Amino acid sequence: MPVFSRRNVLLVLLAGALILPWMGNPYTLFVGTLLFIYVLLAVGLNLLVGYAGQLAFANAAMFGIGAYTTGLLQVRLELPFFAAFPCGAVVATLVGLVISLPALRLSGLYLALTTLAFAQATQWVFLHWENVTFGAGGFKTPLISFAPLPVETPTGLYFLSLLLAVLLTLFAWNVAASRIGRAFVAIRDGEVAAESLGIDLLRYKALAFAMSGFYAGVAGGLYSALLNFVAPEGFDLFQMVLHKAMIVVGGLGSVTGSLLGAGILVFLLEALRAFKGTQEIAFGALLLVFVIFLRGGLVSVLKRNARGWEEPLRLPERRARLLARPGTASVPGE
Amino acid sequence: MSLLVVDNVTLRFGGVAALDGVATEIGRGEIRGIIGPNGSGKTTLLNAICGIHRPDAGEIRLDGEKLTGLKPSEIARRGLGRTFQTSQLFRGMTVLENMICGLHRRTTTGLLAAGLRLRSARAEEAETVERARAALDFVGMGAFADRPASALSFGQQRVVEIARTLIGEPKIVLLDEPAVGLSLNRVAEFDALLRRIRDEKGVTLVLVEHVIRLVMEISDRITVLNSGRKIAEGKPVEVRNNPEVIEAYLGKELRARRAAS
Repeated sequence: MPVFSRRNVLLVLLAGALILPWMGNPYTLFVGTLLFIYVLLAVGLNLLVGYAGQLAFANAAMFGIGAYTTGLLQVRLELPFFAAFPCGAVVATLVGLVISLPALRLSGLYLALTTLAFAQATQWVFLHWENVTFGAGGFKTPLISFAPLPVETPTGLYFLSLLLAVLLTLFAWNVAASRIGRAFVAIRDGEVAAESLGIDLLRYKALAFAMSGFYAGVAGGLYSALLNFVAPEGFDLFQMVLHKAMIVVGGLGSVTGSLLGAGILVFLLEALRAFKGTQEIAFGALLLVFVIFLRGGLVSVLKRNARGWEEPLRLPERRARLLARPGTASVPGE
Repeated sequence: MSLLVVDNVTLRFGGVAALDGVATEIGRGEIRGIIGPNGSGKTTLLNAICGIHRPDAGEIRLDGEKLTGLKPSEIARRGLGRTFQTSQLFRGMTVLENMICGLHRRTTTGLLAAGLRLRSARAEEAETVERARAALDFVGMGAFADRPASALSFGQQRVVEIARTLIGEPKIVLLDEPAVGLSLNRVAEFDALLRRIRDEKGVTLVLVEHVIRLVMEISDRITVLNSGRKIAEGKPVEVRNNPEVIEAYLGKELRARRAAS
């Protein structure tokens, strides 16, 4: 295995992330948590857009639905965070399933417009259903507590986000390299051929939408806890562009690319925070440059020039061969 | 009993009857050629059989089971394979990954098993890779397994596409102009391949083809369509000498001139 393989690089980064709370200050802890949240968003969106090829624009809305559900259940029904948070993920997943219904009839631009309309409608509900959502001003969520664990809230939230980002990224990698990931890519590359092989479009499109909804919902719940505040403008079109930029810059159809894209854009987001208004310009320009000059995103450069960054849509052969040999039923766990 | 029964199928696009009461029965292990001039309804017939178009009247049965009204993926799962006029390999995958997709309907790993990479998922995956490699070897494409599908030549893509359909062990495969655009040498190889598929795998083949020489050589029986109607059916020799077929292909005048000479 080459030294700079994906696994080694990511393990080093993970080790860095594990010690960061003892090295950095509250600000780096905040940015780290934000990064993990965006990793979740980018990975989920890439499954839907990059793998399954569904040009959907509802990710920011599902992010918002996760945040609002988690926040409102705490404020309105006084549920504890750890009960409200899973509910937020479940609601976002269900909403993802509902959005998948038009996706069976529509594709390309029409799907993009429909999902965009849905996202705007969600904004409208956040803004105007004041009896529930508190309207344009948003609302404060309670500070979450990790008691009885002996950690302070920011540190606890940092590790919770890291844990979920790592687990759900591994999950996405495994799904992508399975018959499900291949069914997604088959639908992206040719719906008619996919169907002729017995791949059910309804089932797999719905699954891709639901998965991206789940990832966005989890991210939303964490986001509400990180900011202690939920307001409509956090989940607007700019947020959507941000998610899209991450997967385009990192690489469509690549979980690794999602990680790269999330890293780069969170860095830019923070670096440009002092210069209000430049963020939009920078992201727009970045998106253009990549769409025009580097379609495969940054990960395509790595895949071409470095070994150990491949992302096959199947189990790595070494393991496959081990398993195929009779009498090797007890393969060491991975 | 016939494997595939097309029972008086009619299909209209607007006012035009693309298929007009087409009826035929295809036997198990048969190679059936379907020919006809451009626009005679050959591809439409394939599309009606595999569920892309829904007939306005009539019924299609596979092994006694009614296919009409089912979705294409449901029909595929009942053992009907299909290839297309233009290459439909998945371009974002390698050749091997394309082949594994042909086994989709034979595998069962669900979301959680896949995402957690449970032992059952890994074992099934290993088995499918093994089978995909064997199937590539069967068509002589084993050396290309790890190439991107888009890097193959036109003829190679054709062969892989057929292999991808066969690997799911369908009862019957519909091939839409598999030899179009192939060189003459390639057509001969193709001929041999299709026979091997039938003889060694026992698959029934339905072949829509413009390369008349290929159809005449390998088909057991040939169905001739013209303007959405079946105008002849029989052994290649019978069809070749059928006056209606000659007329459909060459026009009335030529036929008259032929008769005169």
